[in-house]
Amino acid sequence: MKNVVIAAYSRSPQTFAFKGALAGVRPDDLAAQVVAGLIKKINLDPKHLEDLIMGCAFPEGEQGFNIARLVGLMAGLPQSVGGVTVNRFCGSSMQAIHMAAGAIQMNAGEAFICAGVESMSRIPMGGFNPMPSPELFKTLPSAYIGMGETAENVAKQYNLSREQQDQFALVSQQKANAAQQAGLFDDEIIAITTANGVVTQDGCIRANTTSEGLAELQPAFLSDGTVTAASSSPLTDGASATLVCTEEFASQHGLQALARIKSIAISGCAPETMGLGPILASKKALQRAQLSMEDIDIVEINEAFASQSLACIQDLNIAIERVNLDGGAIALGHPLGATGARITGKAAALLVREKKQFALATQCIGGGQGIATILEAI
Amino acid sequence: MNIETVAVIGAGVMGSGIAAQVANAGKKVLLLDRVPEGASNKNILAESAIEKLLKVKPAALMHKRNAKKIQPGNLEDNLADLAEADWIIEVIIERLDLKQALYKKIEAVRKPNCIVSSNTSTLPLADLTAGLSAEFNDHFVITHFFNPPRYMRLLEIVEGPTTNPEALDTLIQFCDFALGKGIVKCNDTPGFIANRIGAYWMQTALLEAFRLGLSVEEADAISGRPMGIPKTGVFGLMDLVGIDIMPHVLKSMVHSLPKTDAFHQQAKIPELVTKMIEDGYTGRKGKGGFYRINKAHGTKVKESINLATGEYAGSQKPALASLQGPVVKDLKKLLSFDDKGGQFAWSVLAKTLCYSASLVPEIGDDINAIDRAMKLGYNWTYGPFELIDKIGVDWFIAKLKADNYPIPPLLMTAAEKTFYRYDNQQHQCLSLNGDYQTISREKGVLLLSDIKQNQTPIERNASASLWGIGDGVLCLEFHSKMNAIDPNILQMIATAIKSIPGQCKGLVLYNEADNYSVGANVGLALFAANVAAWPQIEAMVKSGQDTYLALKHAPFPVVGAPSGMALGGGCESLLHCDAIQAHAESYIGLVEVGVGLIPAWGGCKELLTRWTNNPRRAKGPMPAISKAFELISTATVSTSATEAKDYLFLSATDGITMNRERLLFDAKNKVLALAEAYTPPEPVELSLPGATARTALNLAVDSFVKSGKATNYDGVIADQLAIVLSGAETDMAERHTEQDILALERTAFIHLLKKEPTLDRLQHMLESGKPLRN
Repeated sequence: MKNVVIAAYSRSPQTFAFKGALAGVRPDDLAAQVVAGLIKKINLDPKHLEDLIMGCAFPEGEQGFNIARLVGLMAGLPQSVGGVTVNRFCGSSMQAIHMAAGAIQMNAGEAFICAGVESMSRIPMGGFNPMPSPELFKTLPSAYIGMGETAENVAKQYNLSREQQDQFALVSQQKANAAQQAGLFDDEIIAITTANGVVTQDGCIRANTTSEGLAELQPAFLSDGTVTAASSSPLTDGASATLVCTEEFASQHGLQALARIKSIAISGCAPETMGLGPILASKKALQRAQLSMEDIDIVEINEAFASQSLACIQDLNIAIERVNLDGGAIALGHPLGATGARITGKAAALLVREKKQFALATQCIGGGQGIATILEAI
Repeated sequence: MNIETVAVIGAGVMGSGIAAQVANAGKKVLLLDRVPEGASNKNILAESAIEKLLKVKPAALMHKRNAKKIQPGNLEDNLADLAEADWIIEVIIERLDLKQALYKKIEAVRKPNCIVSSNTSTLPLADLTAGLSAEFNDHFVITHFFNPPRYMRLLEIVEGPTTNPEALDTLIQFCDFALGKGIVKCNDTPGFIANRIGAYWMQTALLEAFRLGLSVEEADAISGRPMGIPKTGVFGLMDLVGIDIMPHVLKSMVHSLPKTDAFHQQAKIPELVTKMIEDGYTGRKGKGGFYRINKAHGTKVKESINLATGEYAGSQKPALASLQGPVVKDLKKLLSFDDKGGQFAWSVLAKTLCYSASLVPEIGDDINAIDRAMKLGYNWTYGPFELIDKIGVDWFIAKLKADNYPIPPLLMTAAEKTFYRYDNQQHQCLSLNGDYQTISREKGVLLLSDIKQNQTPIERNASASLWGIGDGVLCLEFHSKMNAIDPNILQMIATAIKSIPGQCKGLVLYNEADNYSVGANVGLALFAANVAAWPQIEAMVKSGQDTYLALKHAPFPVVGAPSGMALGGGCESLLHCDAIQAHAESYIGLVEVGVGLIPAWGGCKELLTRWTNNPRRAKGPMPAISKAFELISTATVSTSATEAKDYLFLSATDGITMNRERLLFDAKNKVLALAEAYTPPEPVELSLPGATARTALNLAVDSFVKSGKATNYDGVIADQLAIVLSGAETDMAERHTEQDILALERTAFIHLLKKEPTLDRLQHMLESGKPLRN
């Protein structure tokens, strides 16, 4: 086995869909600026790259035509570098990292850009032409279940109260706000040029969140439910990118690798409780890494919803102080296709910053799946 | 000169409202105000005014994007920008010194020929312009808007002795065509026309209600509809405009009117009203007014103040004998009726009408202009002189004499005559010397009410008439109750379709009621459903479909010309027209789900076709269906004609007329333009995706039902709508004709009409006028 590393990580600011500063930016433009920014930051000659693997949950419209290839051309990558678009919904860009790792093990390349993008302003969740199978819908309606309802199902199954979920959301906002104030995102953010100026800061964080304010909100998905807009990740625009390569490639090119990829896993689960996807996926990844949860120092779990995050944390017995140190998607936003590379890159960067040994990045995926990556410090 | 850029100085409620209406007309506006002391943002007043414009109800802007036409600024930094303006409107507080100081600043920067006007309601023009240059004075007038400027149609204009006629004409044209205002030229007298009479009327009604011991509800029931005045009546109106305004108005009137003016006798504020103002009960903007909504016990209870005790109690439906049917419906009977309601009606009306008559020629010598001002500025159905005609000049004089009222000279001039008459097809009004003058309409103003006075309809039944409006164009007028579409209207459309080809050039669908049409006659549908007359119901639906389809494919152009509400079946009639010329204040939508049904006279088909053919929509089979589904399932109604274009109830090429009185003329011109080389539209064929689209739409609805934003029965209706819009059991490879989709509409309509919750919705709508959420 080769040592596959995450050698660099960058992302765009993440802003609210429709009203945020990136709503007017085409997703291919957005992703191209992040990819070009990452390469510039590490001063890598892109001719050494094998492929640009890009995750995107709704690859149509401005995200269509194999956006990965087009982003490569827009970002100034040589024509010799390939481009492939990957869709595993919210897990898309973590899947991009997994694919690169697999290809490297097969001697099918040494260095890959693994990126992700989603403009939820410009391509609606569900796409422009949602056309579900009426037959499958009859036999298994949960195949198309709305995400909010799955969050309610998880809350019920794990007996998670409104207060617990609100508290989790509040803490996420507080952590993200503190990190932003301390400039902890400055290294990872690539400034994005838009028609209305340059965007350098995340736009979703609600610094003034209070538990009283959260308590006043109406349930968002079930009239008698416990999940609100505040305990859900918001619709977001954003892009992310990582450089995945062999450890040798990194050192040959003078790159300070962030973390080694120790193990990866995918697992399916019931669509109606898709938020539990990280549980089995993480267990598989831990087993493959021959680690237990106590060994994991840093956890980046995607906060699709507070309820599913809490359920996974509880079920996997994760120490809460190790979770999402700089806040999660509830505060930072969740641009579907971009989140996987963001949290995996973030987990790698945190291992360096916090001087820890092992990290887990994991996400739930609509339709009933989980994806997980375990990283090890260099 | 044309007016392209306007500056409004003063970003208060009136100033920002005027700026909004200029933006609604598509023109650029500079909105300036002073810099508040210590403000870090110098534009704060204008900027927050624009923010308020985006939130205010009823909306000041006809489309949210119009806010971008308003450029905020301040009087320190942006004074030089006034040089761009073709018209500068001053709307600052009523202080002569401040206004004059401002005019001096304006004079230094304004470009030659720039018109400057003041929105003052109290200060004389001569005082305002004292000490300014002749060029400034020549271009200065008073333009007095009414609140809210978007909705109140009156604009009073006062010119000075040296006003440049060309400048005045430019301004009038702009205010008429672009802002849609009805212009009334006034003399430079306190309160001009509308507020002079209107304030007198309000004060008289207020004081008489106290004197005669009427309750607030009784006074409003008498002073509202029976007199042709909006149903809010006098107390409701004061709550609306703000009770605290009245002392200011009275003070200004008392200050400027000669002691002999009858206004002085009514310029008193009852103690209770003073106390209400002091306690913050200033009307709807305050804690409440003569009415208030009490939410104390978790429910909303409408309460009224007791004028004797000042205590609030639940509002009661007034039970005066004078408010019973035969009396209240006949103004003369009401005025003679011997109870406190009748006494109140007579006293208020006699005093107000006499006062109005006594003001001619002081406030203006054109009685038609005075009537027009009261109709446009106070929404009265009849002006004071029209009201006198209605009860009879001689009857009025006799009753005044019997009650020892002094008779104003003008009334004596009208003795044994009327104030208005039709002579040789000319609409005329009485002049001061007792002769009649012909009332001429502005060029481009065509009113059906004028045509109706001089012609007999080509065809007429109980609900609709067909009129010739000249140049070979016919007008189909609805006149059923609330212009609800019924078999008579459908029959009249069929008659027009038969009689026009070869005889006439085309047809306008137009009427002069407040609302173009509130929808199909749901009472008929409910009745038929209750007796299970299903074949008849199906035939009625089919007949509507056939009629509208025939209208669409008729060999002549048809132009719909709505104003006010055009809902349900009324909206469907417009969707079948070749073109629409809409009044800017058109509120259009397919609202059938509110009564548990879906549009079934071709509304689903037409809206789907419009969205399918919209070049700007995202491609693929779903976006057009999703959009039509969203608009119909949420009963979306446009808040203006401009917004109706967003929803494709109006197409991009349809016209919008700002001035209500110019609508028919514009619509007729559209028919004439279309009539040249007219070919009817080709039948439409659509490819629809079938069950997959229904599943996708139901998935979306399901989440609304689960989150409590829609009821279970909303979901049932939405599913029927989804069946129609998806094409039911079909596949993308198939083609659907118009008849195929109409058949789906019929099936879904009948399916829903057989359900109890739909019948409950219909019943509730008929009884309360409001939709039932069940």
